[in-house]
Amino acid sequence: MRTNVAAAILAAIAVFSVPVFGQENNPLTAVDVKSAKPKPAPRTADGHPDLSGYWKGTRDTVPVGNMAKDLPGLKLPLTPAGEAALQHNLTATIDPESLCIIGGIPRHNASGLPFEVLQGARKIAFLYWYSYYRLIPIDPKRKHSEDPDPSFFGEELGRWEGDTLVVDSIGFKDEQVWIDENANPHSDALHVVERWTRPDADHIHVETLIEDPKFYTRPFKYSRTWVAGKPEEEIQEYSCSENNVDRDHLGFGPGPIRPDGTRGYLDPAPLPPPIQKK
Amino acid sequence: MKLRIAILVASLSLAAGVPLLAHHSFAAEFDASKAIRVTGTLTRVQWTNPHTYFYIDVKDENGNVSKWSCEAGAPGALSRRGFKRGDLKLGDMVVVDGYRAKDGSRLMDARRVTLPDGRIVSGASAGDGGPEATGRNP
Repeated sequence: MRTNVAAAILAAIAVFSVPVFGQENNPLTAVDVKSAKPKPAPRTADGHPDLSGYWKGTRDTVPVGNMAKDLPGLKLPLTPAGEAALQHNLTATIDPESLCIIGGIPRHNASGLPFEVLQGARKIAFLYWYSYYRLIPIDPKRKHSEDPDPSFFGEELGRWEGDTLVVDSIGFKDEQVWIDENANPHSDALHVVERWTRPDADHIHVETLIEDPKFYTRPFKYSRTWVAGKPEEEIQEYSCSENNVDRDHLGFGPGPIRPDGTRGYLDPAPLPPPIQKK
Repeated sequence: MKLRIAILVASLSLAAGVPLLAHHSFAAEFDASKAIRVTGTLTRVQWTNPHTYFYIDVKDENGNVSKWSCEAGAPGALSRRGFKRGDLKLGDMVVVDGYRAKDGSRLMDARRVTLPDGRIVSGASAGDGGPEATGRNP
Protein backbone atom coordinates (compact mmCIF):
# COMPACT_ATOMS: atom_id res chain seq x y z
CA MET A 1 0.00 0.00 0.00
CA ARG A 2 2.84 2.36 0.80
CA THR A 3 4.19 1.74 -2.65
CA ASN A 4 0.82 2.65 -4.11
CA VAL A 5 0.68 5.86 -2.11
CA ALA A 6 4.13 6.78 -3.30
CA ALA A 7 3.15 5.96 -6.87
CA ALA A 8 0.07 8.16 -6.62
CA ILE A 9 2.04 11.09 -5.27
CA LEU A 10 4.74 10.73 -7.89
CA ALA A 11 2.15 10.43 -10.62
CA ALA A 12 0.33 13.51 -9.38
CA ILE A 13 3.56 15.50 -9.24
CA ALA A 14 4.41 14.42 -12.75
CA VAL A 15 1.01 15.54 -13.98
CA PHE A 16 0.96 18.89 -12.23
CA SER A 17 4.54 19.98 -12.69
CA VAL A 18 4.55 20.36 -16.46
CA PRO A 19 2.27 22.00 -18.99
CA VAL A 20 -0.48 19.55 -19.76
CA PHE A 21 0.69 17.36 -22.59
CA GLY A 22 2.89 19.90 -24.19
CA GLN A 23 6.03 18.65 -25.87
CA GLU A 24 7.83 18.73 -22.51
CA ASN A 25 5.63 15.96 -21.21
CA ASN A 26 5.52 13.89 -24.33
CA PRO A 27 7.84 10.88 -24.23
CA LEU A 28 7.17 10.27 -27.91
CA THR A 29 9.26 13.22 -29.02
CA ALA A 30 12.71 14.41 -28.00
CA VAL A 31 14.61 17.67 -27.94
CA ASP A 32 17.38 17.77 -30.52
CA VAL A 33 20.41 18.69 -28.45
CA LYS A 34 22.99 19.42 -31.09
CA SER A 35 26.39 18.45 -29.77
CA ALA A 36 29.49 20.40 -30.83
CA LYS A 37 31.39 17.13 -30.96
CA PRO A 38 28.92 14.51 -32.16
CA LYS A 39 29.88 10.87 -31.86
CA PRO A 40 30.32 9.17 -35.22
CA ALA A 41 27.64 6.77 -36.39
CA PRO A 42 28.35 3.17 -35.45
CA ARG A 43 29.11 0.76 -38.27
CA THR A 44 28.27 -2.86 -38.84
CA ALA A 45 30.85 -5.59 -39.42
CA ASP A 46 30.51 -5.10 -43.19
CA GLY A 47 31.42 -1.43 -42.87
CA HIS A 48 28.04 0.18 -43.51
CA PRO A 49 26.58 2.74 -41.12
CA ASP A 50 24.32 0.97 -38.63
CA LEU A 51 20.88 2.59 -38.74
CA SER A 52 19.64 0.43 -35.85
CA GLY A 53 18.08 2.29 -32.96
CA TYR A 54 14.91 3.75 -31.46
CA TRP A 55 14.23 7.02 -33.23
CA LYS A 56 12.08 9.91 -31.99
CA GLY A 57 10.78 12.95 -33.80
CA THR A 58 11.66 16.46 -32.65
CA ARG A 59 9.76 19.71 -32.34
CA ASP A 60 11.76 20.97 -35.32
CA THR A 61 9.53 18.90 -37.58
CA VAL A 62 6.63 21.24 -38.27
CA PRO A 63 3.96 20.71 -39.26
CA VAL A 64 4.12 17.06 -38.27
CA GLY A 65 1.94 14.67 -40.24
CA ASN A 66 1.87 16.91 -43.30
CA MET A 67 3.58 15.70 -46.50
CA ALA A 68 3.75 19.30 -47.79
CA LYS A 69 6.03 20.28 -44.89
CA ASP A 70 8.94 21.29 -47.13
CA LEU A 71 6.91 22.96 -49.91
CA PRO A 72 6.28 26.72 -50.24
CA GLY A 73 2.94 27.64 -48.69
CA LEU A 74 2.47 24.00 -47.65
CA LYS A 75 0.99 23.44 -51.13
CA LEU A 76 1.20 20.01 -52.70
CA PRO A 77 1.31 20.05 -56.53
CA LEU A 78 -1.99 18.26 -57.03
CA THR A 79 -3.29 17.37 -60.48
CA PRO A 80 -7.05 17.81 -61.06
CA ALA A 81 -7.43 14.08 -60.33
CA GLY A 82 -5.36 14.53 -57.16
CA GLU A 83 -7.54 17.46 -56.07
CA ALA A 84 -10.64 15.32 -56.60
CA ALA A 85 -9.05 12.50 -54.60
CA LEU A 86 -8.24 14.92 -51.78
CA GLN A 87 -11.82 16.16 -51.69
CA HIS A 88 -13.02 12.55 -51.61
CA ASN A 89 -10.68 11.77 -48.70
CA LEU A 90 -11.83 14.86 -46.79
CA THR A 91 -15.54 14.34 -47.28
CA ALA A 92 -16.09 10.60 -47.69
CA THR A 93 -13.30 8.65 -45.96
CA ILE A 94 -12.39 7.98 -42.34
CA ASP A 95 -8.69 8.11 -41.53
CA PRO A 96 -7.56 4.57 -42.40
CA GLU A 97 -5.01 4.56 -39.60
CA SER A 98 -7.74 5.24 -37.04
CA LEU A 99 -9.52 2.17 -38.39
CA CYS A 100 -6.36 0.16 -37.68
CA ILE A 101 -5.30 -0.02 -41.32
CA ILE A 102 -1.55 0.26 -41.99
CA GLY A 103 -0.53 3.84 -42.74
CA GLY A 104 2.18 2.77 -45.18
CA ILE A 105 4.95 4.76 -46.80
CA PRO A 106 5.52 7.67 -46.95
CA ARG A 107 2.92 8.34 -44.21
CA HIS A 108 4.89 6.59 -41.46
CA ASN A 109 7.85 8.90 -42.17
CA ALA A 110 5.66 11.93 -41.38
CA SER A 111 4.18 10.43 -38.22
CA GLY A 112 4.63 11.87 -34.76
CA LEU A 113 5.37 8.40 -33.42
CA PRO A 114 8.85 6.99 -32.86
CA PHE A 115 10.03 3.92 -34.75
CA GLU A 116 12.73 1.34 -34.33
CA VAL A 117 15.24 0.04 -36.87
CA LEU A 118 16.98 -3.33 -36.73
CA GLN A 119 19.62 -3.68 -39.44
CA GLY A 120 21.05 -6.89 -40.80
CA ALA A 121 23.44 -7.43 -43.69
CA ARG A 122 20.74 -8.48 -46.16
CA LYS A 123 17.59 -7.10 -44.62
CA ILE A 124 16.56 -4.09 -42.59
CA ALA A 125 13.45 -3.98 -40.41
CA PHE A 126 11.48 -0.85 -39.54
CA LEU A 127 9.23 -1.44 -36.54
CA TYR A 128 6.38 0.94 -35.78
CA TRP A 129 4.00 1.69 -32.96
CA TYR A 130 0.74 -0.06 -33.91
CA SER A 131 2.82 -3.27 -34.04
CA TYR A 132 3.37 -2.79 -37.77
CA TYR A 133 6.67 -3.49 -39.47
CA ARG A 134 8.29 -3.46 -42.85
CA LEU A 135 11.13 -5.72 -43.93
CA ILE A 136 13.31 -4.40 -46.71
CA PRO A 137 15.75 -6.62 -48.58
CA ILE A 138 19.16 -5.07 -49.15
CA ASP A 139 20.28 -6.41 -52.52
CA PRO A 140 21.55 -4.22 -55.37
CA LYS A 141 20.83 -6.95 -57.90
CA ARG A 142 17.15 -7.26 -57.12
CA LYS A 143 14.72 -5.57 -59.52
CA HIS A 144 11.10 -4.58 -59.08
CA SER A 145 8.51 -7.14 -60.13
CA GLU A 146 6.61 -6.50 -63.33
CA ASP A 147 3.28 -6.39 -61.55
CA PRO A 148 3.74 -6.34 -57.77
CA ASP A 149 0.77 -7.09 -55.55
CA PRO A 150 -0.43 -3.74 -54.20
CA SER A 151 0.41 -3.18 -50.54
CA PHE A 152 0.51 -0.33 -48.04
CA PHE A 153 4.30 -0.25 -47.78
CA GLY A 154 4.76 -1.14 -51.44
CA GLU A 155 7.38 -3.43 -52.95
CA GLU A 156 10.53 -2.12 -51.29
CA LEU A 157 14.07 -2.67 -52.54
CA GLY A 158 17.10 -1.58 -50.54
CA ARG A 159 20.65 -0.92 -51.68
CA TRP A 160 23.66 0.97 -50.35
CA GLU A 161 25.02 3.99 -52.20
CA GLY A 162 28.12 4.80 -50.14
CA ASP A 163 26.86 5.53 -46.63
CA THR A 164 23.27 6.04 -47.81
CA LEU A 165 20.66 3.30 -47.72
CA VAL A 166 18.35 3.80 -50.68
CA VAL A 167 14.88 2.25 -50.47
CA ASP A 168 12.96 2.28 -53.75
CA SER A 169 9.28 1.39 -53.54
CA ILE A 170 6.43 0.85 -56.01
CA GLY A 171 3.28 -1.28 -56.00
CA PHE A 172 1.08 0.66 -53.61
CA LYS A 173 -2.60 0.35 -52.86
CA ASP A 174 -4.92 3.12 -54.01
CA GLU A 175 -7.83 2.63 -51.62
CA GLN A 176 -8.01 3.26 -47.88
CA VAL A 177 -4.76 5.19 -48.06
CA TRP A 178 -3.97 8.70 -46.98
CA ILE A 179 -0.45 9.90 -47.79
CA ASP A 180 -0.37 11.82 -44.47
CA GLU A 181 -2.49 12.73 -41.43
CA ASN A 182 -4.11 15.60 -43.38
CA ALA A 183 -5.91 13.22 -45.77
CA ASN A 184 -3.76 14.07 -48.78
CA PRO A 185 -4.04 11.37 -51.43
CA HIS A 186 -1.81 9.02 -53.34
CA SER A 187 -2.63 6.67 -56.20
CA ASP A 188 -1.34 3.26 -57.24
CA ALA A 189 1.19 5.07 -59.45
CA LEU A 190 3.09 6.17 -56.34
CA HIS A 191 6.87 5.75 -56.47
CA VAL A 192 8.84 6.56 -53.33
CA VAL A 193 12.61 6.77 -53.03
CA GLU A 194 13.90 7.11 -49.48
CA ARG A 195 17.53 7.96 -48.86
CA TRP A 196 18.44 7.10 -45.27
CA THR A 197 21.62 8.28 -43.56
CA ARG A 198 22.94 8.37 -40.01
CA PRO A 199 24.98 11.59 -39.95
CA ASP A 200 26.17 10.86 -36.39
CA ALA A 201 25.39 8.50 -33.54
CA ASP A 202 22.41 10.52 -32.32
CA HIS A 203 20.61 11.28 -35.59
CA ILE A 204 18.94 9.48 -38.45
CA HIS A 205 17.83 11.38 -41.54
CA VAL A 206 15.69 10.65 -44.57
CA GLU A 207 15.28 12.47 -47.83
CA THR A 208 12.21 11.21 -49.61
CA LEU A 209 11.36 11.70 -53.25
CA ILE A 210 7.65 11.24 -53.90
CA GLU A 211 6.45 10.71 -57.43
CA ASP A 212 2.85 10.08 -58.39
CA PRO A 213 2.00 11.29 -61.90
CA LYS A 214 -1.70 10.53 -61.49
CA PHE A 215 -2.18 12.82 -58.48
CA TYR A 216 0.84 15.16 -58.50
CA THR A 217 2.09 17.33 -61.35
CA ARG A 218 5.75 16.85 -60.40
CA PRO A 219 7.89 14.88 -57.97
CA PHE A 220 8.42 16.55 -54.59
CA LYS A 221 10.58 15.99 -51.54
CA TYR A 222 10.02 15.36 -47.86
CA SER A 223 13.02 15.42 -45.51
CA ARG A 224 13.22 14.77 -41.83
CA THR A 225 15.66 14.09 -38.97
CA TRP A 226 14.94 12.02 -35.84
CA VAL A 227 17.06 11.73 -32.70
CA ALA A 228 18.10 8.61 -30.82
CA GLY A 229 15.90 7.57 -27.92
CA LYS A 230 17.24 6.52 -24.55
CA PRO A 231 18.91 3.11 -24.43
CA GLU A 232 16.02 1.57 -22.49
CA GLU A 233 13.34 2.87 -24.87
CA GLU A 234 11.82 0.55 -27.42
CA ILE A 235 8.59 -0.12 -29.30
CA GLN A 236 5.84 -1.59 -27.14
CA GLU A 237 2.91 -3.81 -28.04
CA TYR A 238 -0.06 -1.88 -29.33
CA SER A 239 -3.13 -3.78 -30.43
CA CYS A 240 -4.98 -1.18 -32.45
CA SER A 241 -8.28 -3.01 -32.84
CA GLU A 242 -8.50 -4.28 -29.26
CA ASN A 243 -11.16 -1.76 -28.27
CA ASN A 244 -11.58 0.71 -31.09
CA VAL A 245 -14.59 2.58 -29.71
CA ASP A 246 -13.67 5.48 -31.99
CA ARG A 247 -14.54 3.49 -35.09
CA ASP A 248 -18.25 4.29 -34.78
CA HIS A 249 -17.80 7.96 -33.91
CA LEU A 250 -15.17 9.27 -36.30
CA GLY A 251 -16.17 11.78 -38.93
CA PHE A 252 -14.85 11.95 -42.48
CA GLY A 253 -11.48 13.56 -43.00
CA PRO A 254 -9.14 14.81 -40.29
CA GLY A 255 -11.40 17.66 -39.14
CA PRO A 256 -10.35 21.29 -39.51
CA ILE A 257 -6.78 22.04 -40.61
CA ARG A 258 -5.19 25.19 -39.20
CA PRO A 259 -3.29 27.69 -41.36
CA ASP A 260 -0.03 26.29 -39.96
CA GLY A 261 -0.82 22.93 -41.57
CA THR A 262 -1.69 21.08 -38.34
CA ARG A 263 -5.01 19.49 -37.46
CA GLY A 264 -7.35 20.98 -34.89
CA TYR A 265 -9.58 23.89 -33.98
CA LEU A 266 -8.34 27.46 -33.89
CA ASP A 267 -10.62 28.67 -31.13
CA PRO A 268 -11.85 25.87 -28.90
CA ALA A 269 -14.47 26.67 -26.29
CA PRO A 270 -12.88 26.84 -22.85
CA LEU A 271 -13.47 23.97 -20.48
CA PRO A 272 -15.61 24.75 -17.43
CA PRO A 273 -13.44 26.37 -14.76
CA PRO A 274 -11.58 23.93 -12.52
CA ILE A 275 -13.35 23.05 -9.28
CA GLN A 276 -11.61 24.74 -6.37
CA LYS A 277 -10.34 22.33 -3.77
CA LYS A 278 -12.22 22.77 -0.48
CA MET B 1 -9.60 3.64 -1.00
CA LYS B 2 -10.04 7.04 -2.54
CA LEU B 3 -6.34 7.13 -2.95
CA ARG B 4 -6.57 4.08 -5.13
CA ILE B 5 -8.85 5.83 -7.53
CA ALA B 6 -6.34 8.64 -7.51
CA ILE B 7 -3.71 6.17 -8.53
CA LEU B 8 -5.93 5.01 -11.34
CA VAL B 9 -6.65 8.43 -12.73
CA ALA B 10 -3.16 9.74 -12.19
CA SER B 11 -1.91 6.65 -13.93
CA LEU B 12 -4.40 7.20 -16.72
CA SER B 13 -3.07 10.64 -17.27
CA LEU B 14 0.53 9.55 -17.20
CA ALA B 15 -0.32 6.82 -19.62
CA ALA B 16 -1.86 9.35 -21.92
CA GLY B 17 1.63 10.57 -22.62
CA VAL B 18 2.80 7.21 -23.92
CA PRO B 19 1.05 5.70 -26.90
CA LEU B 20 -0.91 6.51 -28.77
CA LEU B 21 -0.14 9.78 -30.31
CA ALA B 22 -2.55 10.67 -33.05
CA HIS B 23 -4.32 7.39 -33.44
CA HIS B 24 -6.92 9.79 -34.68
CA SER B 25 -7.02 13.54 -34.85
CA PHE B 26 -9.01 15.07 -31.97
CA ALA B 27 -10.85 17.13 -34.55
CA ALA B 28 -11.97 14.07 -36.52
CA GLU B 29 -14.09 12.88 -33.62
CA PHE B 30 -14.73 15.67 -31.12
CA ASP B 31 -16.23 19.13 -31.35
CA ALA B 32 -14.11 21.80 -29.65
CA SER B 33 -17.12 24.13 -29.48
CA LYS B 34 -18.93 21.64 -27.23
CA ALA B 35 -17.08 21.87 -23.94
CA ILE B 36 -18.98 20.09 -21.18
CA ARG B 37 -18.76 19.00 -17.56
CA VAL B 38 -20.17 15.62 -16.58
CA THR B 39 -20.43 14.47 -12.97
CA GLY B 40 -21.15 10.86 -12.17
CA THR B 41 -20.30 7.56 -10.61
CA LEU B 42 -17.44 5.54 -12.05
CA THR B 43 -18.87 2.23 -13.24
CA ARG B 44 -16.25 0.68 -15.49
CA VAL B 45 -12.72 1.13 -16.74
CA GLN B 46 -11.34 -0.38 -19.94
CA TRP B 47 -7.61 -0.53 -19.88
CA THR B 48 -7.20 -0.97 -23.61
CA ASN B 49 -5.65 0.22 -26.86
CA PRO B 50 -5.99 2.43 -28.75
CA HIS B 51 -7.46 4.38 -25.82
CA THR B 52 -8.40 3.84 -22.22
CA TYR B 53 -12.09 4.38 -21.55
CA PHE B 54 -13.92 4.97 -18.35
CA TYR B 55 -17.65 4.98 -17.96
CA ILE B 56 -19.78 6.97 -15.59
CA ASP B 57 -23.44 6.99 -14.62
CA VAL B 58 -24.87 10.49 -14.52
CA LYS B 59 -28.12 11.18 -12.67
CA ASP B 60 -30.36 14.08 -13.62
CA GLU B 61 -32.62 15.96 -11.19
CA ASN B 62 -35.40 13.40 -11.73
CA GLY B 63 -33.12 10.51 -10.88
CA ASN B 64 -32.84 9.28 -14.46
CA VAL B 65 -29.44 7.77 -15.19
CA SER B 66 -27.55 8.27 -18.42
CA LYS B 67 -24.34 6.48 -19.21
CA TRP B 68 -21.33 8.42 -20.49
CA SER B 69 -18.20 7.07 -22.14
CA CYS B 70 -15.03 9.05 -21.51
CA GLU B 71 -12.01 8.63 -23.74
CA ALA B 72 -8.53 9.06 -22.28
CA GLY B 73 -5.04 8.23 -23.47
CA ALA B 74 -3.70 4.75 -24.07
CA PRO B 75 -2.56 2.49 -21.27
CA GLY B 76 1.09 2.16 -22.24
CA ALA B 77 3.58 1.26 -19.57
CA LEU B 78 1.29 1.16 -16.55
CA SER B 79 1.79 -2.44 -15.61
CA ARG B 80 5.52 -1.86 -15.43
CA ARG B 81 4.86 0.99 -13.00
CA GLY B 82 3.17 -1.42 -10.62
CA PHE B 83 -0.41 -0.55 -11.43
CA LYS B 84 -2.86 -3.36 -10.81
CA ARG B 85 -6.38 -3.59 -12.08
CA GLY B 86 -7.39 -4.91 -8.66
CA ASP B 87 -6.60 -1.47 -7.24
CA LEU B 88 -9.70 -0.05 -8.90
CA LYS B 89 -12.43 1.23 -6.64
CA LEU B 90 -15.53 1.76 -8.70
CA GLY B 91 -18.44 3.77 -7.39
CA ASP B 92 -16.64 7.01 -6.63
CA MET B 93 -18.02 10.31 -7.89
CA VAL B 94 -15.81 12.00 -10.49
CA VAL B 95 -16.15 15.22 -12.46
CA VAL B 96 -15.04 15.01 -16.07
CA ASP B 97 -14.46 18.11 -18.20
CA GLY B 98 -13.96 17.70 -21.91
CA TYR B 99 -15.49 17.86 -25.35
CA ARG B 100 -18.44 15.99 -26.83
CA ALA B 101 -18.23 13.75 -29.85
CA LYS B 102 -19.31 15.42 -33.08
CA ASP B 103 -21.97 12.77 -33.64
CA GLY B 104 -23.85 13.86 -30.52
CA SER B 105 -23.50 10.52 -28.72
CA ARG B 106 -22.74 10.39 -24.99
CA LEU B 107 -19.05 10.05 -25.70
CA MET B 108 -16.57 12.70 -24.61
CA ASP B 109 -12.88 13.34 -24.78
CA ALA B 110 -11.80 13.61 -21.13
CA ARG B 111 -9.32 16.45 -20.92
CA ARG B 112 -9.57 17.02 -17.17
CA VAL B 113 -10.76 14.73 -14.38
CA THR B 114 -11.52 15.97 -10.86
CA LEU B 115 -11.15 13.28 -8.22
CA PRO B 116 -13.31 12.85 -5.11
CA ASP B 117 -10.57 14.43 -3.00
CA GLY B 118 -10.52 17.50 -5.23
CA ARG B 119 -7.31 16.83 -7.08
CA ILE B 120 -7.34 17.45 -10.80
CA VAL B 121 -5.58 15.39 -13.42
CA SER B 122 -5.53 15.32 -17.19
CA GLY B 123 -6.81 12.46 -19.24
CA ALA B 124 -5.99 13.83 -22.65
CA SER B 125 -4.30 11.95 -25.45
CA ALA B 126 -0.86 13.27 -26.25
CA GLY B 127 -0.40 15.18 -29.46
CA ASP B 128 -3.87 14.67 -30.87
CA GLY B 129 -4.30 18.36 -31.69
CA GLY B 130 -6.94 18.77 -28.99
CA PRO B 131 -7.46 22.08 -27.19
CA GLU B 132 -5.03 21.73 -24.31
CA ALA B 133 -2.27 20.64 -26.61
CA THR B 134 -2.46 24.05 -28.26
CA GLY B 135 -2.08 25.89 -24.98
CA ARG B 136 -5.18 27.92 -25.75
CA ASN B 137 -7.23 26.45 -22.96
CA PRO B 138 -6.96 26.96 -19.22
